[in-house]
Amino acid sequence: MDFGFGDEQELLRETTRRFLGEHQPIAAVRHSMEERDLFDAGIWRRGAELGWTAMLIPAEHEGGSVTDQPLVDLVALAEELGRALNPGPLVPCNVVADAIARFGTEAQVKEHLPRIARGDVACAWCLSGDGTPERGAVEVSATRVGDHWRLDGVARYVHAAQDAALLLVVAAHGEGTVNLLVPRPSAGLSERGLTGLDLTRRFAEVRFDAVVVPHGDALDGGWDVVERSLAVATVLQAAESVGAADLVFESTVDYAKKRVQFGRAIGSFQAIKHRLADLLIDLEGMRAAAHYAALALNDSLPDAAEAVATAGAYVEDTFAHLCGEALQLHGGIGFTWEHDMHLFVRRAKVNQVLYGDGTWHRERLVELTEAATPAGGA
Amino acid sequence: MDVNVPPIPQTYDAYRRALRDFIAEHKPALEWKQRTGLRVPDRARDVELLRTYVRALYDAGYVLDRFSAHSGDPHEQRILEQELGAAGVPHVLGNPLVSGALRHFGTDQQRAAHLPPMARGDHIWTQLFSEPDAGSDLTSLQTRATRDGDDYVVVGQKVWSTWAQWSDYGYLLARSEPVEGPAGITAFILDMRSPGVDVRPLREMTGTTDFNEVFFDEVRIPVANVIGAPGEGWRVAGASLAEERSAVGGGGGADPLQRLVDLARQHRRRGQPAIRDGAVRQQLGDLAARARIQRHLGQTVATRAARGQMTAADAPLTKIWFSELNLEMAEAALALQGARSMAVEGDELSVDDGRWQDAFLYARAWTIAGGSNEIMRNLIAERGLGLPREPRGSW
Repeated sequence: MDFGFGDEQELLRETTRRFLGEHQPIAAVRHSMEERDLFDAGIWRRGAELGWTAMLIPAEHEGGSVTDQPLVDLVALAEELGRALNPGPLVPCNVVADAIARFGTEAQVKEHLPRIARGDVACAWCLSGDGTPERGAVEVSATRVGDHWRLDGVARYVHAAQDAALLLVVAAHGEGTVNLLVPRPSAGLSERGLTGLDLTRRFAEVRFDAVVVPHGDALDGGWDVVERSLAVATVLQAAESVGAADLVFESTVDYAKKRVQFGRAIGSFQAIKHRLADLLIDLEGMRAAAHYAALALNDSLPDAAEAVATAGAYVEDTFAHLCGEALQLHGGIGFTWEHDMHLFVRRAKVNQVLYGDGTWHRERLVELTEAATPAGGA
Repeated sequence: MDVNVPPIPQTYDAYRRALRDFIAEHKPALEWKQRTGLRVPDRARDVELLRTYVRALYDAGYVLDRFSAHSGDPHEQRILEQELGAAGVPHVLGNPLVSGALRHFGTDQQRAAHLPPMARGDHIWTQLFSEPDAGSDLTSLQTRATRDGDDYVVVGQKVWSTWAQWSDYGYLLARSEPVEGPAGITAFILDMRSPGVDVRPLREMTGTTDFNEVFFDEVRIPVANVIGAPGEGWRVAGASLAEERSAVGGGGGADPLQRLVDLARQHRRRGQPAIRDGAVRQQLGDLAARARIQRHLGQTVATRAARGQMTAADAPLTKIWFSELNLEMAEAALALQGARSMAVEGDELSVDDGRWQDAFLYARAWTIAGGSNEIMRNLIAERGLGLPREPRGSW
């Protein structure tokens, strides 16, 4: 048993942290946020060279991972991007890359994967009309017209749709589901950027008004593709949140050591100490949940579904709680616009409702536990 | 990254079968009702039956590494842990905390005289640390050990000693040096049959007697029974307490959850099985997630230990996680039973003969004993995070 990152993954973390520190630190994210221009295609390409979009893509399509556990590598990397509040489409790009690698035709794989791996093409995942991962919430319909699909409807709360050149669109087709690869721009495709709570990422409402795509642009699968993508998204977002929570926690402990009131560092008061101890417990729980979910999903362990649901049930709600506590412990300085704390509070609040909220994943975990509990006695 | 435990080779099947047969043959039929937690038999006859059982195991070579001078075959050790655990009767008699102290600080003679008999059930041990006025603030303990020739003479009182009513030896902390605070404390091996030792079983909120008060009226302890050096007792105790905390945090997590799901199927709420109630499902989902994470925290800490990267926060953190979740699960179980939860062991309306009611009451032993969770939070903050020490009134 070795339940931690290996040397190569630690090296990947260091390299990523150094790169972000030099090229896209939080100060730079803040600047681009004020300029309302969060996506930097140049940095995204350089990130891609460091493997940001390559891990889940096979080597023959210009992808590659650091170890034989690509999802764990990616989690090590995602923690660093989360720590730096990176605005980039790490989650959707990897979700789409994974979906194409697993469910794509040979033509799709050849056309898209190398370009995603190189960082030339950014992706977005159009999941549903209300952001939830429910069949009933899908508001894009797909109709067969000759050898084409026609898409009508809307997908909302789509991360980085404004920056994407390739959309993976979940669409209802009768009782079933199709997953379509739609280039952006396309005729009939439009989006409206949201004025959003999270200032360090962009989200959009994407409209499909008789968008026509060739029949061959559908992935080979239905709702099973959505389930897989949801699992990958849940794990990667959890990892980003763990990284962000790590930084928030460290900063708060540092602040409690430095800030003096009543002639003492506030960290010497038990009322503060015990809250910080509780936050460490929260943080370690988040990390353990996210890491095990990555491991279980990567290695297809028998309890992979439970592991992902556990991460979804615990990580984002706890991240939001941790940020709230951290803000409170910072006092007045944390309430200012200049301080970074509100950016993390905002990020956490939005992560809570993406890719299934805590309530959704807890319900899923109970369903799985029920199925594992024989009737009439445990 | 992996959580693989190497599989036990098939060649060990014979060992497992032999052990199972052995346990089936020697396992005593106890009158004492088994309950959750670290519980102590309430009948002398049961204690004697357990001693006979543990002796038989020891004499047949079934000895856990923690009680042995040399380590056994790792696969056999795992099988031993599994099968002894599944047997349903205690195989560790008394509080074995002193074994860590003797291993790290004891003399060869002390180790030879005490470790094998402890493993064989010949010596049952109790821990004599807490006092009525020294609980969380253990270093303020006031039991005195005064040097008199080749002996120390002990006067004072201890409390919260498990197994003391059946113990042969006590692991005692007493103040022997003329300084206040931790530097004045010495660790001793006490023969519990010495004149002047008075053990009074203490009935707890569970209604059972799992702890004792112990009084010392000029009890003589030979100088040779000091563990480590005089004044070194706090360090000796610290080493063994850390072992206890990680042991407490090691409990399993998933199985109680299935019991809760089962309860939620059997009991009704607003005219339907509770398992269909949205609020119940959310609570179960939360508990299920935290029970699973408890296991992964265990894997995290075990990995850090193997890599030599343990922090001072790790053991307290797992103890808090386990003990608070354990309490919440018992509370949830009672809530699921509705009004029936007022019926306890012995009443025909009780669910599972009051198992959860007892677990609910006993759960406070985990949140308070072994260093209360408030002390654990201080340890995390001060030793783990490096926050300034709490100013103290005086020693």
